[in-house]
Amino acid sequence: MTDKKLKYLDIGCGAGIFAESAARLPTTASVTAIDPTPEVITVAQRHQRQDPLLLEPGRLTYHNTAIENLPQKDGGYNIITLFEVIEHIQQPSPFLTSCLKHLKPGGWLIGSTIARTNASWFTTKLMAEEVLRIVPSGTHDWSQYIQPSELRQWASVQPELEVQGAAWQVMGVVYVPGLGWKEVGGSESWGNYFFGTNSYSYLL
Amino acid sequence: MASSPLLVFSPKLFHRLLQLPPTLRRSLYSTTSKPEIYDVVCVGGGPAGLSLLSALRSHPSTERLKVALIDSQDLTTSRAASDTDVYSNRCSSLTPASLRFLRDAGAWDKVEAGRVQDYHGMQVWDGVSGSRISFDPLDGKNGAGLLDALAELVPGNRFRESRRQYGMEDKGVVATMCENQNLTHALLQRLKDTEGVKVLDKTKVESIQLGPEPEDKALDLSQWPIVTLPGERQLAARLLVGADGANSPVRNFANIPSHGWDYNQHGVVATLQLDHAFAELDRRMAYQRFLPTGPIALLPLPNNKASLVWSVTTPLAAKLKALSPPAFASMVNAAFRLQIADLTYFLEHVGTIDIADEFSWRLPNTSPASTGLPQSLPMVKAVQEGSTASFPLRMRHADTYTGHRIALIGDAAHTIHPLAGQGLNLGLADAQSLASSITYGVEHGMDIGSPWCLDEYVSDRWAKNNAVMGVCDKLQKLYSVQSGPVVWGRSLGLGLVDRLAPLKGMVMGAAGGVR
Repeated sequence: MTDKKLKYLDIGCGAGIFAESAARLPTTASVTAIDPTPEVITVAQRHQRQDPLLLEPGRLTYHNTAIENLPQKDGGYNIITLFEVIEHIQQPSPFLTSCLKHLKPGGWLIGSTIARTNASWFTTKLMAEEVLRIVPSGTHDWSQYIQPSELRQWASVQPELEVQGAAWQVMGVVYVPGLGWKEVGGSESWGNYFFGTNSYSYLL
Repeated sequence: MASSPLLVFSPKLFHRLLQLPPTLRRSLYSTTSKPEIYDVVCVGGGPAGLSLLSALRSHPSTERLKVALIDSQDLTTSRAASDTDVYSNRCSSLTPASLRFLRDAGAWDKVEAGRVQDYHGMQVWDGVSGSRISFDPLDGKNGAGLLDALAELVPGNRFRESRRQYGMEDKGVVATMCENQNLTHALLQRLKDTEGVKVLDKTKVESIQLGPEPEDKALDLSQWPIVTLPGERQLAARLLVGADGANSPVRNFANIPSHGWDYNQHGVVATLQLDHAFAELDRRMAYQRFLPTGPIALLPLPNNKASLVWSVTTPLAAKLKALSPPAFASMVNAAFRLQIADLTYFLEHVGTIDIADEFSWRLPNTSPASTGLPQSLPMVKAVQEGSTASFPLRMRHADTYTGHRIALIGDAAHTIHPLAGQGLNLGLADAQSLASSITYGVEHGMDIGSPWCLDEYVSDRWAKNNAVMGVCDKLQKLYSVQSGPVVWGRSLGLGLVDRLAPLKGMVMGAAGGVR
């Protein structure tokens, strides 16, 4: 039964919002969550201690480290998550390659990021940082935003990754004031989006 | 409590100890046992709390949650009565929506079926003006009601029988009368069958507090409510549910204020014996007359029995309860059948006149048309021994239903006037909504005590409950007026509603608890 359960690696976990929710699911075997910033790991661990379920041995483990320094785990992880990370990385291609080293064959690399367009500059830079001040100024570097096509391009040249058909998934989402985040087909070409890519399962 | 005997004998040492830093002091004072950790601790074993736990045990996503139920009463003695001649005076009118929920929670099939009574219509009329409205499902939005009507046109049709045979929900049912203890017993039986619920009855909650400050790197329960029971037993609750009634200690712990007012009225209840089972073609009716002093309602029970709920002023309630059973029976008949002027005379002289006598000569002189009396209303023959009782009527609504790791359901969240029979149904709807939020939370890896999970419940239920309470309250105020334009206005209102079938369907949908 434990073999069927999933092992997660959450990269850039921050204070552990996603890591905690993944750790609580009955289908989860373990969650390893890493972040290079020590302060957020401290916050994450403090919050983890408020839930006895998360303190079960092996269920949720935090490491204050960058992905490049993470030791290889036996067999790799079923799911690697990269939420709101890739747009903060100056050299995304080698970064993603180091992430990929930890992906188990048949597993999924799932993340979220922002497309690089005038519209996303308007919403995430001008409105969010300068006008409404929802996030601190300088949070994002627009030149580091990545188009879904660019991600797919990168994925297609990785030998381990499958990008045909259902193995490559993109979902554009838009924040609608008062209603929250809503899936909007096609919006990935100009706004926020989720992406997912599946690794070949017949590789050892 | 101090665990060291030294503290008893040496005041100086005691004083010295008080000056120690808190962490050290705590380790000396605190008990060595750690609190038992539960996912859901429900305080209150009434229908709302029991149905919440039944719903959680009945869903695959939530059936593995560790849950506990605490109640100060002895829940094992709750037993559906067997004597079919005697009915409890505490009954509730369950809407079809409530029944669907109870079926899904696996409890309805454990109810003593012979002791519940479906009814198919409600005759409501205004005591002062005689204006009438009858809630009849054939006029309702319900498509099945129309099917019934069409089927009746076909001679020799077996539509109704075939629906019964195949267990199709009888869509003609407006509501179902059920004794509260019958329902509670069924729910408890369901919990016992599913096992896994720690039932701590005959147990009083001694205190509720937040957990202690954590020691370094250890489990941090400082944001968890800890319920202390007798014998220093402690339960730590991921989610503490207050289903503990109008004076909810859980609500007080959460510092959630509740506002409302007292109606300065009591609801007088009794179990009545009627002169005939008022069933025509298997359809039974409920009756409600709005009197200036408060509405009086007759709700059907199996055979020739009925449940009475009569809202009256507090001093009047005491006088009515003191009446002999035959006098009480005549009084109820008078309240339904006589003119307001006659009734007022009765109520003003309730201890001093011979009610049965006064009623017997006034009734023939009262034309039914003048009071709007429904033809089918049965006569009350007798009152079941010892069944007259009363309870104070008030309206209360908590400002919110949730806090950090706290949720309120049922009477702890809201108290309502009984005139539309909605109280228990609102509590069951709360339980259903909260169970649904908890299920969603578990399926999405949420901490079920967090606001993310609980906000869904509040936004679903608070406004709806507020609306129902508002309607009942305004109805109560509206029908307390004896004369003048308000009476004229409301009699026109009721009359118009009766003649406009679609509007009546909408109102009936609300009264029937359609969600």
